[in-house]
Amino acid sequence: MAAPGANYLNHDKSLWSWLTTVDHKRIGLMYLVAVSVAFLAAGVLALLVRVELIAPGQTIMSADTYNQVFTLHGVLMVFAFIIPAIPGALGNFVLPIQLGAKDVAFPRLNLASFYIYLVGMAFVLGALLIGEVDTGWTFYTPYSSAEGSNAVLMVTVGVFISGFASILTGMNFIVTVHKMRAPGLTWNRLPLFIWSIYATSIVQVLATPVIGITMVLLFLEKLTGIGIFDPALGGDPILFQHFFWFYSHPAVYIMILPAFGIISDVIAVFTRRPVQGYTFVALSSVAIAFLGFLVWGHHMFTSGQSAVSAIVFSLITYLIGIPTGVKVLNWVGTMYRGSIWLKTPMIYVLAFLFLFSIGGFTGIMLGVLSVDIHLHDTYFVVAHFHYVMMGGTVIAGLAGIHYWWPKMTGRMYNETMGQIAAAFIFVGFNITFFTQFVLGSQGMPRRYYDYVGVMDTMPYFETLHAISTYGSWILALGLFMVLGYLMASIWTGKKAPANPWGALTLEWTHTTPMPDPHNFTFQPIVTRGPYDYHLADEIFGDGGDGMGDGATVPSLAPEARPEVTPS
Amino acid sequence: MAHAAHTDAHHGDEHHGHHIIPFSLLAKVFGALVFLTGLTYVTAVYIPLGPLEVPIAIAIACTKAGLVVFVFMGLKWDNKVNLLAFSICTIIVLVFISITLLDTEYRGDFGNVDELPLDDRERIEQAIRDREEALNNPAAAAADTTAIETTTADTTATTP
Amino acid sequence: MSTTTAPATAPEAEGHAGHDHHPPHLKHYFVSSDQQFDASKMGMWLFLLTEVLLFSGMFVAYIVYRAWHPEVFVKMSELLNPFWGGFNTLVLLGSSFSVALAIHYAQKNDNKKLVMNLAITLFCAGIFMVVKYIEYTDKFSHGIGMGEFFDPTGSYAQYAIPYAKQFFSIYFVMTGIHGFHVVIGMGIFTWLLIRARKGHFNSEYYTPVELAGLYWHLVDIIWIFLFPLLYLI
Repeated sequence: MAAPGANYLNHDKSLWSWLTTVDHKRIGLMYLVAVSVAFLAAGVLALLVRVELIAPGQTIMSADTYNQVFTLHGVLMVFAFIIPAIPGALGNFVLPIQLGAKDVAFPRLNLASFYIYLVGMAFVLGALLIGEVDTGWTFYTPYSSAEGSNAVLMVTVGVFISGFASILTGMNFIVTVHKMRAPGLTWNRLPLFIWSIYATSIVQVLATPVIGITMVLLFLEKLTGIGIFDPALGGDPILFQHFFWFYSHPAVYIMILPAFGIISDVIAVFTRRPVQGYTFVALSSVAIAFLGFLVWGHHMFTSGQSAVSAIVFSLITYLIGIPTGVKVLNWVGTMYRGSIWLKTPMIYVLAFLFLFSIGGFTGIMLGVLSVDIHLHDTYFVVAHFHYVMMGGTVIAGLAGIHYWWPKMTGRMYNETMGQIAAAFIFVGFNITFFTQFVLGSQGMPRRYYDYVGVMDTMPYFETLHAISTYGSWILALGLFMVLGYLMASIWTGKKAPANPWGALTLEWTHTTPMPDPHNFTFQPIVTRGPYDYHLADEIFGDGGDGMGDGATVPSLAPEARPEVTPS
Repeated sequence: MAHAAHTDAHHGDEHHGHHIIPFSLLAKVFGALVFLTGLTYVTAVYIPLGPLEVPIAIAIACTKAGLVVFVFMGLKWDNKVNLLAFSICTIIVLVFISITLLDTEYRGDFGNVDELPLDDRERIEQAIRDREEALNNPAAAAADTTAIETTTADTTATTP
Repeated sequence: MSTTTAPATAPEAEGHAGHDHHPPHLKHYFVSSDQQFDASKMGMWLFLLTEVLLFSGMFVAYIVYRAWHPEVFVKMSELLNPFWGGFNTLVLLGSSFSVALAIHYAQKNDNKKLVMNLAITLFCAGIFMVVKYIEYTDKFSHGIGMGEFFDPTGSYAQYAIPYAKQFFSIYFVMTGIHGFHVVIGMGIFTWLLIRARKGHFNSEYYTPVELAGLYWHLVDIIWIFLFPLLYLI
């Protein structure tokens, strides 16, 4: 047992203890730092892309540089940031505590996954920086295999390696959820964050190996010309797209499903109501995970695949709308007659509901075969997936970071700054990407360096691009504010109580403000659901902060609470 | 207490040790596997089976794989969740194969795609054909009609 | 989320009166040996599923190209000797049997037979790789390699037809990745053999043997499919 007052951050402060830690909380923090760095780097690249497009013709970079910059942006955002972000950082930190476990099932594999991720990313970054890769993040053959620089080889190795990190995380979480739940924590008492991470993990385990073999084949195709994908050698480039999207479409659910979990948890806590339709919300995550395996061909409507498969893919794509709609409906239903507490995490949830709905509906539009023929590879698609990925995953990730920040760092961030930044992000985001819907529907192709050719017929392209670029600056300002005040809070923030939000899940009710190295002093025993506020009187009666000091809480607002240090 | 909650991990009598697969069963399965290997070799190399050759070879391979999975790997006695995971994996593999084939086997069928519904297209083409025929060869068309009429008349005349 | 708390150590003592209180292999974050064993086994199964899906990509490539060019695949499989393929199948089946027996004897605390069966498994894996080596060198000597190294010479020149290259690309990638797994398996069994000789395994703790066995069976299953697909049909 650790010394009194010790927590997972201060019980051993040496660098070596961090590098060799098997503590899921520390690994989660290391993931958080790594993915934040990736997000920062890829975000700066996105700003450069936007600046280049602010006016027709060359603005700040050459066409070749532009191709490399958007490739780097895509690869980093997808493989280095958004796939590992929520499972790796928040999932690692929160999931075992929410389960009432001392750690994940395989802590050493968990640490291995982090290092594998770093090695994979080192390969990817090295290749992209040294070797001038301009294939886009999808590496379509034959351009990637027959043309382009040999650095593609290094990227494929990097993606292959980082796949193992994803697999190990997924395996670990599935086994942990199955085998290490606290006494009384039945499947229908699992917090919805766990359900969604669980569904994500299923996808990670089942889909990621296919990108592995795809990368092996691409590697060999480029190295020795095995003729599987290269049409000049008798291969079939569309087969590459099948292989690639068999992973990469489920991978978009790896990106968005954890976000759903955060939204469910946060919305229940900040409306003080159980999530409406708990079972439906939980199972819809699993349904999305499996349906996600059946629709990969909707990325290939214009690729030359058969009309039969295009029609089938289009039909199944509509089905995805059902479980997603179930979720959004239930989230909105949860807020109805709830006692909504508009703190920063909840503001992000509201932003999510708005942005994700737009992203989702445009997704259904793009799933319509005939419409997609027109919109494929235009800015409409770019806007759609940014609404889902950035407006969905990143916004939900921000909600989650603000929600769990007091537990991670033991400090409260500046609430006013948080709300202002959220407003900047919401406004900036919409300005940036809504204009792209218009651009795309007018025919602006994605990945294009220039649009000078249409300036005489469609001069408003320049205006729209310029507005989009200005929006990206507002968005960036908001994000940098978040970075700033979160960092500042570590040193200057108010000390957080153990349960500042009055949440009912184990990470809030049964740990000290910053958790013990082994999470719990006592094995928690669960007797009710994760959002059963009507059954939680005894918790709030006991002070509600998990310290067992008997202090009652007059108001749940953190500023109204007495400062308590754990003994 | 902690014990009761780890529902997946604890199934009643599993506490008294794991299932030990008897030697005789392992030996029998090994024998069956060797036999099936011989069978697939013989059917493929010596017996001409024509179109059945591939399905038979696949069926034998699947049987062998099933024996290994359920007996050697002990899935028959294992936790049901492992069986579930394995089944899901198999289904996903079949999905991968079948949906990819849905493309590769029908590749190029965009030639069938028309801006008009099939019925309309047929009617229009028929009309065009009729018109061309009438324009190109009005005499023959007329002669044809008379010829048909005469034949019909003949047949009716001779039938009784 | 709870109303009661209990000391973390209490349930272990109560629930597992018959077991060792804290055996040396039991990690602190598990409640019992059973929980740890089940978790490890489930983790291994999940890992095996990823292996299945890894190979599934190759099988899809095989099926697609076979469906497109069946006559080429039939002709090319003439170049692979079904005798050696069948022999290797039997060798791997034998090693699967011996590894199942290894687990059987570990569960029965028969360390001598455990060691013997692990040694047999390792030996069979070695034979498999030797046969594979003979087959590969034979192919290479006739100019049959992967990708740009596919340039059949001499009596094999008649096989230089369109899409022959695809067949051998698939052959080399599939058997290559499979062979890589066999080599990894040999490493694992060497390690297990050393540990088993030191008496590390018994009926209470044989998790590594069990997991390695599962892995090895999967390697066997992959070969069960590769053999008819590549050599026979």
